[in-house]
Amino acid sequence: MNRGYYWLVIGLAVPAFIWLVPTLWMLSLSLQPNEVLARTTSSTAFGLLPIPFTTDNYAALFTFGQTPWWFLNSLIVSLGMTLGVLTVSTTAGYALARLEFPFKRAITVMCLIGLMVPEQAVFIPLYTMFADFGWHNSYHALILPRMAVPIGVFLMLQFFQAIPRDIEEAARLDGVGWLQIFWHVMLPLARPAMMTLAILTFLYAWNDYLWPLVSAQQREYFTITLGLASIQSNFAQSEGLGRVMASGVIASLPVVILFLIFQRYVVNAMTAGGSKG
Amino acid sequence: MRDAQRRYLSQRQSAWILLAPFLVTYALFLVYPFFRGIWISLHDWNLLAVAFNPDAMEFIGLRNYERVMWGRNIQWGFSAPLWQGLGVIGLALAVFLRRADRLSRFNAIALGVVSLLLVVLPGFHPGEGGRWYDRRFWPTVGNTLVFVGFTVPGVTIAALLLAAGLNRETRAMGILRTLFFLSQVLSVTVVTLIWQIMFSPRQGLIANITKTFGGTPINWLTDQQFAMAAIVIATIWWSLGIAMILFLAGLQDISKDIYEAAALDNARGARAFWFVTLPNLRRTITLVVVLQIILHFQVFGQSHLMTQGGPNDTTQVLVRYIYQTGFRDSELGRASAMAVFLFVIMGAFSIIQFVIGREKDE
Repeated sequence: MNRGYYWLVIGLAVPAFIWLVPTLWMLSLSLQPNEVLARTTSSTAFGLLPIPFTTDNYAALFTFGQTPWWFLNSLIVSLGMTLGVLTVSTTAGYALARLEFPFKRAITVMCLIGLMVPEQAVFIPLYTMFADFGWHNSYHALILPRMAVPIGVFLMLQFFQAIPRDIEEAARLDGVGWLQIFWHVMLPLARPAMMTLAILTFLYAWNDYLWPLVSAQQREYFTITLGLASIQSNFAQSEGLGRVMASGVIASLPVVILFLIFQRYVVNAMTAGGSKG
Repeated sequence: MRDAQRRYLSQRQSAWILLAPFLVTYALFLVYPFFRGIWISLHDWNLLAVAFNPDAMEFIGLRNYERVMWGRNIQWGFSAPLWQGLGVIGLALAVFLRRADRLSRFNAIALGVVSLLLVVLPGFHPGEGGRWYDRRFWPTVGNTLVFVGFTVPGVTIAALLLAAGLNRETRAMGILRTLFFLSQVLSVTVVTLIWQIMFSPRQGLIANITKTFGGTPINWLTDQQFAMAAIVIATIWWSLGIAMILFLAGLQDISKDIYEAAALDNARGARAFWFVTLPNLRRTITLVVVLQIILHFQVFGQSHLMTQGGPNDTTQVLVRYIYQTGFRDSELGRASAMAVFLFVIMGAFSIIQFVIGREKDE
């Protein structure tokens, strides 16, 4: 590598560090005592280093307040939604990609149109609908609407279309049924695509804000994303800056860990989700 | 053999069984709500009144749309010379550049349509003794457009430059990419939490740094001049990653040979970027821009949590106005009419996105 390359790395490292600063600052503030933060937020290196250091904020989160409960809600909702989306997307994706049946084209086009409908355009009718059923303030109210979004079906459809037909035909010649082929042959092959879809869904579910805001009015059913919104408006007075920042760190932990471990899948998932809807 | 096959379902039966879970949820939670939304928008529908008495809504046709978008004695003329003049110039440019073959047909049409809208839309204004029925709606749409107008170019240019710099498969570049992408996975409430305090004039990091250099801290979130800028900055920080990744994917498709050929003509570095990278990336750039427009037109959390639409409504955006009209003022009919308006705009951009996506496959 030549000199120009090293200058390029250094030239990009500076903006990269600036990009990291806000996140770093949240982490650092969460590790400083509230009494100090009430006086100044820039004790050491503009507050970017947690000196004086304490873990009291995290200890307090787990003894008082609802953060652990909200965290649990988020886990239940996100995992439930992931499971639901995987189920409806793999089954429908396979049927649309490989099976012949009446109205196939019409159904595909109808789903394509559904990609254009933003969540923000249907949240009011969804709200009245769920109110009529008496479903608000429940886990299924938070999970179900997202299962209808056809993006996952299209991701799986494209994946199944790319698998060579020989594999299925060999199984067909042995007289195996379509459902069995789906379950025993296609699903194992689809694991990478399912992983991408699962991560896309989990990230979406964990970070979703508008629908939980409308649907969950009782604090027991808040997700962590919603709970964090509810404590940040009057943060400094009631809870102390350090504790609110600790909540922010806890709320980000699962998605950041997911990102660092499965970076390639996350990038794939966001690219696929981004460029298709 | 035949006996073995008979135990299994036919292809059609299998297909319907596999499709059933999706079709049921799709019909129930997307198709039905969509039409129900249009239905609600045609009614005088108060959230609380209808909750107590399901018959308390009244069919009023398109009156909600009129109440939201129209007014008394609305006239058309050249009342906003700046925007309308810009539109006329844009129209002329579209025709001229297309004639001179400097623009593709798609870009010429896009520029023409945008310019035409610029000429027509700002021309509506209340005449003598007239007024808009809803004074806040169009300013809110305007704020949303301003937000999109600053965020999209900001994200696109920054992401493009970064992607061009980071387009090398080395360990250091991989780490730098990770750092730039990290903020993208955070939720909107974490982003607003961080930036609310970053921008705070008393506790904020920005204020602390300003004070160290002897400056006076800006009251970012409560100053009319800076509130929108603050939201745009936070959003660019948040959503740069995905644009960068899409550009990196686009850069991978440009073959090394073109750069080597360009290097022989002495085009390296910035010149290569301008004469080789940009022209070859044109389709990706269009795609990223359209995607960002769709994404950022639906902005809600940043405005709702950082500035509460203030100060003085300068950061009020469309989705937040829909939310407030529906759930604070309980006017579900009017809110639904606005939601339909949002859908129409989003739908138009989705179709553009779809068309561009199609071109790639062919």
